[in-house]
Amino acid sequence: MSALDTAPSSTNGGPVERRLNARQATLRFLGRYGTLLVFASLLLFNVVFTPNFVAWNTLTLNLTQVATVVIVAMGMTLVIATGGIDLSVGSVMAIAGALAPLIFLDRIVPIPSHTLGVALALTLPLLAAALCGWFNGFLITRYRIQPIVATLVLFIAGRGIAQTFTNSELQTFNEPSFQFIGKGFVWGVPVQVILMALVVLATHYLVRRTALGRQILAVGGNEKAARLSGIDAAGVKRLIYVISGVLAGIAGMVVVAINNASDAARVGTLMELDAIAAVAVGGTLLSGGRANVLGTVLGAFVLQLVRTTLLANGVPDAAALVVKAALIIAAVWLQSRAERI
Amino acid sequence: MSHFTRRAFMAAAGAVAAISISASAGFAQSPKLVQKDTYKVGFAQTESNNPWRIAQTKSMQDEAAKLGYQLVYTDAAGSAAKQVADVNSMIAQGVDLIFLAPREEKPLIPAVMAAKAAGIPVILLDRNVDPSLAKPGEDYVTFIGSDFVDEGKRVAEWLQENKQGGAKIIELEGTTGSSPANDRKKGFDEALKEGYTVVASQSGDFARDKGRQVAEALLQAHPDADVIYAHNDEMAMGAISALEAAGKTPGKDVWVLSIDGGKEAVQAVVDGKIAAVVECNPRFGPKAFETMARYAKGEQIEPWVKNTDKFYDPKNAKDEVASAY
Repeated sequence: MSALDTAPSSTNGGPVERRLNARQATLRFLGRYGTLLVFASLLLFNVVFTPNFVAWNTLTLNLTQVATVVIVAMGMTLVIATGGIDLSVGSVMAIAGALAPLIFLDRIVPIPSHTLGVALALTLPLLAAALCGWFNGFLITRYRIQPIVATLVLFIAGRGIAQTFTNSELQTFNEPSFQFIGKGFVWGVPVQVILMALVVLATHYLVRRTALGRQILAVGGNEKAARLSGIDAAGVKRLIYVISGVLAGIAGMVVVAINNASDAARVGTLMELDAIAAVAVGGTLLSGGRANVLGTVLGAFVLQLVRTTLLANGVPDAAALVVKAALIIAAVWLQSRAERI
Repeated sequence: MSHFTRRAFMAAAGAVAAISISASAGFAQSPKLVQKDTYKVGFAQTESNNPWRIAQTKSMQDEAAKLGYQLVYTDAAGSAAKQVADVNSMIAQGVDLIFLAPREEKPLIPAVMAAKAAGIPVILLDRNVDPSLAKPGEDYVTFIGSDFVDEGKRVAEWLQENKQGGAKIIELEGTTGSSPANDRKKGFDEALKEGYTVVASQSGDFARDKGRQVAEALLQAHPDADVIYAHNDEMAMGAISALEAAGKTPGKDVWVLSIDGGKEAVQAVVDGKIAAVVECNPRFGPKAFETMARYAKGEQIEPWVKNTDKFYDPKNAKDEVASAY
């Protein structure tokens, strides 16, 4: 960003040049704060037109619904920052979401203690998700397969694996101690919202304050240069895909917990696209080298708000998809224009 | 040289195709079924990722086993293309009759026509094919299934009998454009009398998670709604989660109504969380094989063999929950 800040303002100022500069400044402003503007205008629209929008419930409702998307999108932001992409997140959600109930319902092996069962149900699926992420990273770094192809493997196979675990059957359950992650409250705040906040803070800290954060951006910006300057580029990438896998695993377990049921065919479907959309609308370039963590959060909020706005005002779901697409196009167009200044 | 032979092959293949098409156009009636002691029957299932489909498959398998028939079972796993291929492989295996649960209205027409051309009668289960492209009695024997319009109507009538003084209703529709969603909406909406209004109606895609999210958003926009009508059990269960998250008591603050009548939903009626649910009967086995026997005897089969659906409300749910699928 700093390179952009200094570039155009020092050129000589003829009248034509100045007019261009004004346009450029607007573009740059929109590129940077466009998402925020859209968010603000959506809020304003809702306050004026949507019935019962100004209520405490609206906030909790939207926060709980957006939580899983944000959690997954944090991993996606990191992956995209390294110049990759992770299409497997939805399937990894299905795997973690299918495993957890299998464990506490004693379907795999009988576990003597109930507390132990729930504890294992909360941890083992994350381990499986981490393994999925590691596998993605392994394919990408060891065999130099392009990320979109490498993660396509688990995108396709992952859901099949989840369905094999559950024999393609819907598993229903009632297990309050496990479902705490999706239905519980701490000091009046839904647990999944707390999880989301923690994940966002941790990601933001990782990118801004740690050496690993700098390494991620360096690898995404110019992998060869990063390698030559002594960064273990392959190691960084593998770690990031593991993180993305684990975050998807958390999201999968939350979805399952909220719904009292795990449907391997449905959990996390289209989540990869929601997460990528949030990243794109949030202003992170898909070419890598940048990570706009808070932008991604804002992007997810915008997409969420669009959906509830249209729903609450009686616009059919199909139209919501079109609006979503239009927003993505606008965001990407603005960024590419702002980039060329 | 190879050019010529390929062309000759194409011409020959074209001629064969033309002959077989004109031959199949020759008989206007659907192929006959001879009376035998035992049959080899095909059942082309569309998918099996939900309790309803599993119950349907089991019912077909059980009935075939009871009669001592051989059942060739395929699962298209949600793909119309695979289902067409499944039917073709059944034709190749020389089954006597095919039960087909068509995934979609148009894409399965070639499968129906191929069976007809091969002289194998087809009976459609639970979903129909496009009536302008294939006709009962001509291209296939009949369609066996529930009356989705009537299911919606029964829900509306029960509501108006049991909840006096009007209601504000949130409707969770099924997958946009699917026949159960269209018909369940039509039956319900048209049976509503004055004072019973649908304040919001949106698609929840027949899925629990989507149904929950849509219900949450609609409840927020319409806090005065006191009834949620879901087109299937999954969305009804999602709506219950949404109500509980919003601090409302399902069954007291808001009545939940559903269609399908799986075990989980009937248990929810017992627990007071769902007010009433119309069954969409998945037990096709007895009726399917009975219709086949009638056809073999040469009886005239009506174009639509209707399944009878049960109705569960607090009066009978406790006794019926064990027999729900």
